[in-house]
Amino acid sequence: MSKLFPKSANKLPLQIIIYLGVLVGIATAGVTYYMTPKYTRVGYAPLQPVPFSHAKHVQEVGLDCRYCHSNVDKSAHSNVPTSQTCMNCHNQIKTTSPLLAPVRESAATGKSVPWVWIHKTPDYAYFNHSIHVNRGISCVECHGKVNEMDVVTHTQPLSMSFCLECHRNPAAALRDPKDVFNLDSKRLADQGEAGAKQAAAFVHDWKVKPPQSCSGCHR
Amino acid sequence: MKRIFEHPAPSARELNGPTYWRSLDELAASPGFVDQLKREFPQGAAELDGVDRRHFMKIMAASFALGGVGLAGCRRPEVNILPFGKSVEGIIPGLPQYYATAMPLRQSAIPLLAETHQGRPTKLEGNPTYTPHGGASSLLAQASILDLYDPDRATAHRKGGAVLKAEAVNDLLASVGKTYTASQGAGLAFLADQSSSPTRARLVKKLRRKLPKAVWAEYEPVNDEPPIAAARAVFGADVKPIYQFAKAKRILSLDADFFHAESGSLYYAREFAKGRRVKSKDDAMNRLYVAESAFTLTGSMADHRLRLASSHMLALAAAIGTKTLDTEILKPLTDGLDAFVSQKWVEECAQDLIDHKGASLVVAGAHLPPQVHAIAYAINALLGNIGQTVDFVAVEPASAASISDLAAAVKSGSVKTLVILGGNPAYNAPADLDWAKLQVSVADVICLGYAADETSALAGTQLAAAHYLESWGDARTADGTVVPVQPMILPLFGGITQIEVLARIAGEASADGYALVSDTITALAGGDADKAMRRFLHDGILAGSAFAKTAVNFDQRGARALFRDDPKKIETFSAKNLEVRFVTDHKMDDGRFNNNGWLQECPDPITKISWDNAILVSPKLGKELGIYPQGSKLQIARVEENEFSIGKENSRIFELSVGGRKIKGPVHIQPGLSNYTVVVPLGYGRTVTGHVGKGAGFNAYPARTVAGSDVATGGTLTDTGTRLLLANTQEHWSMEGRDIVREANFDEYQKNPGYVDDIGTESHSPAIYGADKTPTNDNKLSREDRAKQTTARAKEIPRGGSMYATPKFDGHHQWGMSIDLNTCIGCNACVVACQAENNIPIVGKDQVMRGREMHWIRLDRYYSDGRAEGGAFGGEGNREIPEDPQVSLQPVACAQCELAPCEVVCPVNATVHDEEGLNTMAYNRCIGTRYCANNCPYKVRRFNFFDFNQRQLDSLYLGQLGPKGMPELVKMVKNPEVTVRMRGVMEKCTYCVQRIQNGKIQHKVAMAQAGRPGDVVVPDGTIKTACQQVCPVEAIEFGNIDDPKSAVSLAKAREQDYSLLGYLNIRPRTTYLGKLRNPNPKMPDYQSLPLSRVEYNSKNHPPSDHGAHGHEGHGPAPAAPKAEKKHGMIDTAKTLGGLS
Repeated sequence: MSKLFPKSANKLPLQIIIYLGVLVGIATAGVTYYMTPKYTRVGYAPLQPVPFSHAKHVQEVGLDCRYCHSNVDKSAHSNVPTSQTCMNCHNQIKTTSPLLAPVRESAATGKSVPWVWIHKTPDYAYFNHSIHVNRGISCVECHGKVNEMDVVTHTQPLSMSFCLECHRNPAAALRDPKDVFNLDSKRLADQGEAGAKQAAAFVHDWKVKPPQSCSGCHR
Repeated sequence: MKRIFEHPAPSARELNGPTYWRSLDELAASPGFVDQLKREFPQGAAELDGVDRRHFMKIMAASFALGGVGLAGCRRPEVNILPFGKSVEGIIPGLPQYYATAMPLRQSAIPLLAETHQGRPTKLEGNPTYTPHGGASSLLAQASILDLYDPDRATAHRKGGAVLKAEAVNDLLASVGKTYTASQGAGLAFLADQSSSPTRARLVKKLRRKLPKAVWAEYEPVNDEPPIAAARAVFGADVKPIYQFAKAKRILSLDADFFHAESGSLYYAREFAKGRRVKSKDDAMNRLYVAESAFTLTGSMADHRLRLASSHMLALAAAIGTKTLDTEILKPLTDGLDAFVSQKWVEECAQDLIDHKGASLVVAGAHLPPQVHAIAYAINALLGNIGQTVDFVAVEPASAASISDLAAAVKSGSVKTLVILGGNPAYNAPADLDWAKLQVSVADVICLGYAADETSALAGTQLAAAHYLESWGDARTADGTVVPVQPMILPLFGGITQIEVLARIAGEASADGYALVSDTITALAGGDADKAMRRFLHDGILAGSAFAKTAVNFDQRGARALFRDDPKKIETFSAKNLEVRFVTDHKMDDGRFNNNGWLQECPDPITKISWDNAILVSPKLGKELGIYPQGSKLQIARVEENEFSIGKENSRIFELSVGGRKIKGPVHIQPGLSNYTVVVPLGYGRTVTGHVGKGAGFNAYPARTVAGSDVATGGTLTDTGTRLLLANTQEHWSMEGRDIVREANFDEYQKNPGYVDDIGTESHSPAIYGADKTPTNDNKLSREDRAKQTTARAKEIPRGGSMYATPKFDGHHQWGMSIDLNTCIGCNACVVACQAENNIPIVGKDQVMRGREMHWIRLDRYYSDGRAEGGAFGGEGNREIPEDPQVSLQPVACAQCELAPCEVVCPVNATVHDEEGLNTMAYNRCIGTRYCANNCPYKVRRFNFFDFNQRQLDSLYLGQLGPKGMPELVKMVKNPEVTVRMRGVMEKCTYCVQRIQNGKIQHKVAMAQAGRPGDVVVPDGTIKTACQQVCPVEAIEFGNIDDPKSAVSLAKAREQDYSLLGYLNIRPRTTYLGKLRNPNPKMPDYQSLPLSRVEYNSKNHPPSDHGAHGHEGHGPAPAAPKAEKKHGMIDTAKTLGGLS
């Protein structure tokens, strides 16, 4: 009877195990990197119907975040301004700019400008803006330096672990309440020893105790 | 080591608890029932029908392959944010807005606050500004919002099949007015439903002045106001009574279901609870006598309940009157009553009323003849109750013609154009009028209706009516307070309102709803018109507009005139001569809510049947009809044919014949009915209705005539030989008849307020909180100390020596709930309020029959008759269906156990505790193993067997092959603050976590902005759960038990606070306050112990210590030897707890 398997086949099981190991390793590495919000979300900068530049409006015009996002300290949802808000200024300047045509049309007809949603939490996570900005968490913590962005880009993963990191150690992310809307300000914890002390006092006096269990965000 | 916790076998001596039985199956321990007890879920509830594992894997393999193809779509889909183009005043995206409005119903209305999200109403709550209701609302009001988004509602105006535009409708209506101006309205007739709207009344008056010859008729199939003829005779004035139950210490109800069927029932229930609630042993408690033929919620609360045919109520009233008024005039009326009521019952009841002059009250049902009301008024007048427990207010006498008058006019051919405004006469008009035929004979019929129905189907012109949440209007509550009906949204389908129709026909200058209402209100209010209207809309009531109380004088001569006719001899009923009672259904009302899924699925509070109505017969009649089950197969109106019929009631269809008119319907044997009274709920069996209502129940209207519209006699029942499966939820989720509802008589409570601790296992249970910390010992502490102790225990770590790590309960609040069983009337409003708040889907009759209903809170209704001795399970003495049981009601939702059994078995940690003591449920983590439901002792977890929010109920089993998605309209009712759950996910009560979180956030934000950021604890009473908010009797307290002074802590500190199944050491955060009964020791039917306690005692104590106070001396010490054997499981638990 001839040999069914050549001698080299003896190595096969080992080879298979090694190849499989490598394959699984690559797959695992791939999934952990490519399938997490760190990869899928960060850097997302879609084209908007109107090329609105936050950098220009904040740094050149000097608008506060709350001029447009007027309900961020009242509501769960940070509102995107109505076209009427845009027209408060743009009925005076750049009244004929073709780039602003969608806004003018929207303000005239009442139909919405279809802004593309960038920072979106999943439907089952109930994030509330008002509680964060009223209690020392600045916009910049989740949205990055929007004041320097010409095109808004997703800078943080906004994954559950991202949320929890902060909820577990809120002192590290707190700002002086008056600095919340100043995106260039520093966190208290980054202001040396005095700042760290202030942050600890903040946590104590304001009874800061962010929820770490499911009911905090999921209903 | 695997620990096996064996529940004590529920046999005669070992089962520790009163015998409650929720179904006759349970009482009889039929084999099917016992089998069901052993199963975690009813048969079929936990299996996937028609798909075996192999087939399942095949399908799944295919879908996995498809999933691979779909990987390209990994990128998140692009989603838009769509802000308003023009800013809208007041709207803040993400924050709800609240507007005052009201739900009109017949001659009254329920003031409401509507919650809207960006202009979309999602939830209704009672308007707290209207203090008589105190923010409560009813089952119907809660569910009415679903009708707004009913996909089957009328979406266009039509004439002869062609769609009419709004302008064409306006022209058409204006032309009606013009055509008949010349003839002064001769040939024109209106048929409207009843309304309390001052604007409508004003327009009708104008219209009738302009067209005096037009017929204005009003019709309602049911009458919920006392007949004005009685008041006119007795007091010589057009007045109606407003009862003040809170002031009444002794109440006698003559067939009056004032918790549900009477106008103003919400106010009455609330006031009744005020007199019923006992907070300490020094409080007084009212006593309720009820004589009734049906079994109503009011009857279930009675301390003395008399089963008596409605036709005999006059005799009973006369007998009570004879005694209380000390007169012989009424004596002839009572002839023959002795056969049905013992003389002593009447005398002692009457004496009790006499003993409480000025604090007693006699109430007669609206359906009873004027004579009964006249006697009730006379008793109230002579006992000095008028001005105390009952006020009279002047009302305008009805000037409208009746439907019979209109029918006569139509028959004579004098009606050329008929305008029908609301109502559904073709479905619900008295059968002897043959309305459908009459309506067709009119040349031109214009019908304003909300949805396509029996009436609009026969009309040439169909106008789509607007929902009340789309309408400008006004209404009066039962006490006459004018309330606004304010639109929350523009009419979704261009519907119009009655006042707009009337204004156009009357040729008013403006037919704009707002202008019409504004004219009425400003005229009523006086002063600055604009200001008055704004205040009216803001407050939701017109202050001071309630009917004025009028002094009334009892006029004996007038009253006598009512009794001039020779008294009819009292009729004796039998199986060959049945009394038939037509009653409004708890859910369908008169049929107007027929297409409302929330109401259809909500079980009837007494029969527990959902999706159907049934002919209710007494056990005695059942026996005579030969449908009385024998032996161990004792059950309701069916013989068990196979085990699959458990949970489904395999009912027989009978033909009910009254006066030659016949209807067919399933029969349900209902304990507690008058022997030969057959109760037929109205509102089902609609032929022209939407998808939900189609096929639900049978129509009882064809047996109703003008004369016998509420009570008819001479009925007979014959078996048709066919059967129908009814979805009856009463057998689901049984708790095996232990010490579930703990009750005592009021006198026992006064001697021993902590009686609840002598019932059940905890009195001799081992250390839940420590060896000497039994509930009995706790009750030796002062209330303040008990409240503080509760607070301390809420945060105790480790809890109960448990090895399972739960998070530290170190939040700023610790949530807890207390439910007062003494005031709960079982109205089911909490069930539907929860459904509306928490996006709970309906599952349909088929799924309910499989035990898959999704309600997060349910109302258990237990019967006890004191005879279920020797164990309810197959013992002797349980071979008869009791004719007169006591009822105990108990709402059960997730109790948020501190040591939650569901949590330890979840393989994926989808259900875990949070730091504030909530047993949270993370839907997106749940993989649907259902272990948690298996391990839940309360059976309050609900599983999404299908994608109820995405699939139509009739195509659930098609799975992926069926159509997906819901109509946009249906989606609009969803609460955006709560996740809409998908298939394969477990869900349950969360204490309305969305309200808790939003309440906390709003408080913290307000405090941070007010400069007091450290003030993070929400003030007591700010956060209310949906069930607590809606409860008309304020039975539910919810709040922070970390604060010993909060309302919930104070409630829990009351002596009669107990934990349901507390001996399991699960430490539920929801606890119950024991129920009390207040019977009169002099009454012949006096029970010295509640019947459930009699059963409890006879089961757990030898007959020797049986007796009036059989439980006295039943403390930990003497029971200890028994306890050791009895509670082997707990001892095991104790040992194991220390084992580690």
